[in-house]
Amino acid sequence: MTASPGVAAVDREELRARIASKYRDVAINPELGFHFHTGAPLAAMLGYPAAVVASLPPGTVESFAGTGNPFLFGDLLPGETVVDIGCGAGFDTLIAAAQVGPSGRVLSVDMTPEMREKTAAGARDMGIAHVEVLAGFAEDLPVAAATADVVISNGVINLCPDKQAVFREMYRVLKPGGRIQVGDILVHREVPQSAKDDIELWSG
Amino acid sequence: MSNEVDVFSGSKHESDAAEFETRGVTVFARKPGS
Repeated sequence: MTASPGVAAVDREELRARIASKYRDVAINPELGFHFHTGAPLAAMLGYPAAVVASLPPGTVESFAGTGNPFLFGDLLPGETVVDIGCGAGFDTLIAAAQVGPSGRVLSVDMTPEMREKTAAGARDMGIAHVEVLAGFAEDLPVAAATADVVISNGVINLCPDKQAVFREMYRVLKPGGRIQVGDILVHREVPQSAKDDIELWSG
Repeated sequence: MSNEVDVFSGSKHESDAAEFETRGVTVFARKPGS
């Protein structure tokens, strides 16, 4: 398989299936332990205030698997519309919902049904009605253009083989002047194309 | 703006992360316009 520049030569459907399987476990069986950190210890490492973490449902916290902290550069504003790309168990979604308040709106997109259900359950537990949980992919968001004041995401782009498509979608759904506040991973050394094309290395 | 954290330190991904100097990163950017 030959990849376009910036696009890994992996079978996208197979990759999505493997990643969905991995994150189904993170949602349902977070106690299993993974190759990456999860839960409250990870949140502390990433600088989330302990009081904020304590305000979330335990089931939301235990399945947190982010790689950054979208709120590091400042809180969101009351009334803002947020799109959370790859919301996972809803950790950042619920923090965003608390910050924008009931006059705001959080549209939370994830491809994994068990993660969507966990986000919805967390919102119900907290009595939050301004979160909408949507099925979809980062490369093809089920969100109208120029909807978001803020796009957040955390540890998702690295799992997408076509990163340019993800950034195009972020740009599309943002309002003019809107912000991207995204956590992910960054490599300082070039990853060989052979590794980029090895599907086993994507979903470990 | 961006911020980096050694997010894989102590995890099972630590050796792979070290090989490629992998860090957790948070970035902030703004779409042009008002």
